Amino acid sequence: MRWLLSFLLLALLGAVQALSSSGSRLLVVIEELEEKEKYSQFWGDLKSRGFSLSFESPKNDKLSLFKHGERAYDHLILFPPKSKGLGPNLTPQILLDFINRDGNILLTLSGNSPTPAAISSLLLELDIHLPPDRNALVVDHFNFDSNSAAEKHDVLVLPPPQDLRPGVKNFCSVGGSIAVPRAVGQVLGNESPLLVPILRAPATAYSYNPKDEAEAVEEPFAVGQQLSLVSALQARNSARFTVLGSVEMLQDQWFNAKVETAGKETTTANREFAKQLSSWTFKELGVLKVGKLQHYLTEDGKKFNTSSLSVPEQNPRIYRIKNDVAFTIELSEYVEDHLQPFLPPADDDLQLEFTMLSPFHRLALKPISTTENATVFATSFTLPDQHGIFNFRVNYKRPFMTNVDEKRQVTVRHIAHDEWPRSWEISGAWVWIGGVWVTVLGWLAFVGVWLYCEPMDRKAGVKKTQ
Amino acid sequence: MRFSFIPSLLVTAVGIASAASSWGFEDATLSVQGKGAGVGGGVKEKLSADAPLSQDVPFGASDTLKIILTTTEGKNAKRPHQAFLTLTEQKTGLEESYAFSVKESGKGKVELTHKDLPFQLLTSSSPLKASLVIASFGSSTPYKRHVFDLTIKLDPNVPIWVPDEPVRYGKREEIHHIFRSDPTSPPKIITLVFTAAVVAALPALFGVWLTLGANVNHLQKALGAAPVSHALFFGSIVALEGIFFMYYTRWNLFQTLPPAVAVGVVAFLSGSRALSEVQERRLAGLR
Repeated sequence: MRWLLSFLLLALLGAVQALSSSGSRLLVVIEELEEKEKYSQFWGDLKSRGFSLSFESPKNDKLSLFKHGERAYDHLILFPPKSKGLGPNLTPQILLDFINRDGNILLTLSGNSPTPAAISSLLLELDIHLPPDRNALVVDHFNFDSNSAAEKHDVLVLPPPQDLRPGVKNFCSVGGSIAVPRAVGQVLGNESPLLVPILRAPATAYSYNPKDEAEAVEEPFAVGQQLSLVSALQARNSARFTVLGSVEMLQDQWFNAKVETAGKETTTANREFAKQLSSWTFKELGVLKVGKLQHYLTEDGKKFNTSSLSVPEQNPRIYRIKNDVAFTIELSEYVEDHLQPFLPPADDDLQLEFTMLSPFHRLALKPISTTENATVFATSFTLPDQHGIFNFRVNYKRPFMTNVDEKRQVTVRHIAHDEWPRSWEISGAWVWIGGVWVTVLGWLAFVGVWLYCEPMDRKAGVKKTQ
Repeated sequence: MRFSFIPSLLVTAVGIASAASSWGFEDATLSVQGKGAGVGGGVKEKLSADAPLSQDVPFGASDTLKIILTTTEGKNAKRPHQAFLTLTEQKTGLEESYAFSVKESGKGKVELTHKDLPFQLLTSSSPLKASLVIASFGSSTPYKRHVFDLTIKLDPNVPIWVPDEPVRYGKREEIHHIFRSDPTSPPKIITLVFTAAVVAALPALFGVWLTLGANVNHLQKALGAAPVSHALFFGSIVALEGIFFMYYTRWNLFQTLPPAVAVGVVAFLSGSRALSEVQERRLAGLR
């Protein structure tokens, strides 16, 4: 009996191991199923990470992303269709619905097949702009692979992506150059904070249409680093949408391929890049989870009560103005198949806001300890001198990380009449307190003298009656 | 296979061995002309393919910057696929490229005014780095070099419209808002001096009374005549002060009132007796 149980447990463990934080049902929409053989290593990598893959053609009438009103798949990979569009089952509206219901999409484009208008308009909705020429692709006469594209210069060999800016985690910094064959460049709108480029084109690259007869490019769609080859959008619900400009990157032939650029031969790190990119898109990376969140009075001089970290959340509902209060929050980060303590990158801080409509305090939360799979961040401060309904709020939104927005509402009351400092504690009042005591003692002395005084002589008596 | 492999090998070998098949330009002139400036006005410089201009090129608000050049592959004039003038903002690394319109003969031209520059470049505090990129398909070595620096001269009368910075998620600046600062007391030394002055008034008062002949010599007499009422009367006055003291330190109003009333009744009853005794003393001519 016991061996059976342990066997069952083992089987369960095996099933649980290496799963995305948001499910393992992955749908690959690919028009020609023979095509998929070219990507066998990519599929193998995905399967080994616990995804269950199903392949469908967009032409299949029965294909549906939803079943009984729920998502039928957790993740979606869209291959560039050979025909005009993705068909009635994958309209832009349905794809946006899929994102709105927390589904993740990896959309691939290719310079070999024209991008359908449906996809361009979907991307336009998201403020990602594709070149108006449907056949456009990115070339660079400086960083190309001279083994495979000596003439056409359309296989770019790029160093791994740099950090976007200080304080942003970089999940795709793989240890090798990346081959990007026949990519469709994208230009990202500047307004949205949700859009980020993952891999930018080099400074000398530009987008052009190879079918164009002109011998020189006069008005390129976009040039240099403004072209994004791989870009990402993380929606407000943290659903992820990645646009991969070159589907060929994922082919077996470019995984660990030998490429030569400027006379130097290197091996591509496309396999690692594909793994990181798909891990990020399918929420195996950069997923934050909030654990316990506590706030409490620190009047007794103890700064952080780490001792009670194992008790459940029991926070006061009410504080008084100018109370000293401590705040702690546990955060963990999902990495591939487990939760581990989260630490923000250098130059970045988790911040606590104490808000009533707008924040009155915004303070950095510092890590004070770690548990098995979470970091405890804490800060302490004095509540503002204003009563009302306030919120403790941790609003941590960063590129490539799922959004964290936690609020705890508390009442802050004013000081009760018997909570004010007593007059003798206020040094400025000592003069007046002294005056009161002098009056009291003087009065008592006067009463005594008036009652029991014997006049020394008449004169003194006369004086007293005055 | 033979086609693609051998020529590419050959070509790389040739490309490394000689500069014959590398892109470049010649006969390049750069001119910056203001509106209304006649022929020969403004700046005119010859650009060299090998070294950047030693001086910055000023570029005013109403000027037109024009570069004319002939692109070459090796020694022959030829049209490349890519002929760009790239301006780089040195601090942020932002770039913008402008394509030359190149004729079959390799003669190329680009014209720029302030309108063509995005505001990020216009508002740059340091000179813009201008480089030329000339490249094409095939095996010739592409050309990219820094050729001159461009200093933007803005018209102070025409403000540049700079849009609001777009939202980017990241760390925000800390806030420590204080509605009202705490009330403060004057320096303790000043308080102590004045407190001492106030307290000193009591001994001064007693001193004055003593010099005027104040005493308590009738105490024996009064206690002898009406011991209970005098003790109660003076005691109740002291007790009333004590009750006020308790009210100040510990009691609330409801704890204070009953003893105050009780002490008040005692003071009233004993007071009438005690004060009659004082009156008797006065009538006896002792006061």
